[in-house]
Amino acid sequence: MVNFRERPVKSILFLLMLAVIIVYLLFPFYWAINSSLKTESQLFMTPATMIPRDPVTLEFRPYWGNYIHIFQSGQFVRGLRNSVIVATLATLLALSVGTFAAFALGKLRFRGKTASLYIILAMTMFPQVTILAGLYAIITRLPLGTIPGMIFSYLIFTLPFTTWVMTSFFKDLPIEIMQSAQVDGATPFQTFYKILLPLTAPALVTCGLLAFIQAWNEYIFALTFTAIDPGARTVPVAIALFTGEAAMQEPMGETLAAAVVVTVPVVVLVLIFQNRIVEGLTAGAVKG
Amino acid sequence: MDLQKRERRLAYKLMAPAMVVLLVVALYPLGHVFYTSFTDRVFAGARDAQFIGLENYHRLLAVTVEELPPVIDEETGEQQIDEETGKPVYERPIRVLPRQPHAYRELTTFSLFGSRYVLGARTPNFIRAIGNTLYFTIVSVFLETVLGLLIALVVNSEFKGRGLMRATMLVPWAVITVVSARMWEWMFASSRAGFFNMLLDRFGLIDRSIPFLTLRSFQVPAMIAIDVWKTTPFMALLILAGLQMIPQELYEAARVDGAGKIRRFFTITLPLLKPAIAVALVFRTLDALRVFDLFQVLLARSRYSMASFNYYELVANRNMGLSSATGVIIFIIIFIFAIIYMQMLGVEE
Repeated sequence: MVNFRERPVKSILFLLMLAVIIVYLLFPFYWAINSSLKTESQLFMTPATMIPRDPVTLEFRPYWGNYIHIFQSGQFVRGLRNSVIVATLATLLALSVGTFAAFALGKLRFRGKTASLYIILAMTMFPQVTILAGLYAIITRLPLGTIPGMIFSYLIFTLPFTTWVMTSFFKDLPIEIMQSAQVDGATPFQTFYKILLPLTAPALVTCGLLAFIQAWNEYIFALTFTAIDPGARTVPVAIALFTGEAAMQEPMGETLAAAVVVTVPVVVLVLIFQNRIVEGLTAGAVKG
Repeated sequence: MDLQKRERRLAYKLMAPAMVVLLVVALYPLGHVFYTSFTDRVFAGARDAQFIGLENYHRLLAVTVEELPPVIDEETGEQQIDEETGKPVYERPIRVLPRQPHAYRELTTFSLFGSRYVLGARTPNFIRAIGNTLYFTIVSVFLETVLGLLIALVVNSEFKGRGLMRATMLVPWAVITVVSARMWEWMFASSRAGFFNMLLDRFGLIDRSIPFLTLRSFQVPAMIAIDVWKTTPFMALLILAGLQMIPQELYEAARVDGAGKIRRFFTITLPLLKPAIAVALVFRTLDALRVFDLFQVLLARSRYSMASFNYYELVANRNMGLSSATGVIIFIIIFIFAIIYMQMLGVEE
């Protein structure tokens, strides 16, 4: 497509289009970084500046205080810790339970298989908000604690997702592997445990990462269940409800610093695993 | 056969944990919600919940249309004319809408065949929430599909740095929705400290800054803008995967037959892309219909989506019965959309 010598106008137009797309996708994130490096007075300079500038001299002057403050404030650090615990455990639980089911759905023959597949698929599109009141009633009644309650309720979206994606991976594994293992005298469970599971390790990583991101993102359950237990707030809730030390004032700089801090690790992970993620997303969606 | 029986037994054992979990986290709460939606249960209420039948549903969905009689001037015997606006005066909606046995409040007024009517609802906020959600869903999914297709077509051509481009596309998708809401909240700020007002001002397009998030006509479009930014790349990636499955020979053959670029797009690319687009469309629509994060973070109680209405009814008003009925209605609306899609697209198994 890009060939300056033969088609200069076309090439330039094409590159321009690429540039527009890239700016569109990245600019809001840049703006958040830019604003997170400003003091309160720099934030409210009008017109807004494209880089943090000194209000008087207009020199480039970034301010790191917002980042320091959020790590000193208990609410953000606690949110991070809660989010890591909740998202990790919800993912691991979903992966272990889901992989067993996926093996059965992908490779074994049994009655009720098609129906089970349909149920799982329907569950991946299930609107969580529908059962909000029901789950809330159950969680507040069980002596479970808010965090275990959240982990458990997150299975409602992580489990169908992991089961569905892993099923499609198991289906793609050649049946000959299983047959030769059986000929060698392995039981179906040994075949699963010793042969198929190692083969699906890459798929497990992808699937786990996607489930983790979903759980890391989750907001409506977390917001509802932590309404009576602020200590259990996860990162999205903490960022949504960010309050400054001075009451009645919204600390936008700190909020955006927190936004940058929670986004960077996920972006790095996503970039490392980008090929796998695209595969996983398309397996989860296109094969549906 | 023994082997077959063993295989079946193993399958049931492997499926059991997943099924038990789904039963507890999904089916039981669903049953609970369905049951509660027929009661007047209040969260942490002192008295026992009463079975009230369809009252919650009636309260949420009941609408009525009443004609507004013209206000007659007693002296002239003709309809009064507003001195300021020069428009004929009608009775105020609040005096026309029924108050017994249930109070209806004004949703909107409209004219039809020379008469003036008022549309009233028992819970205008919920009817508006349905409207807001449908508006949000239809416009954002449409824009995401068109933009996603465009980006996918651009990224699909051969160029250096294509991998980097694909990586860039994953960035908005990786940002937590609440975080993107707050990032855009600051860009939408109502003074020139906000990016959009600064930009509009720099190009001399506005005299006064626009409060995007409080002005009613800008609220839902602002939500759409954020959602489009965040999910278009996802749409583009799904469409891109579909594009890469189209065999190149088809294009070669069409070129040999003398088909132009546009013709090739409409006769090869688009039809072969249909399944990929269809699936992406279904996923996005069902997702957009339950939008919560953006509305709750940015608009709170000034404007509801169906899901945020449900949340506030439950947490702020502690009205479990009504919240449950809302949940069931959302479920039914999403179900209807799913069925329509299946019918329209003939999704193959």
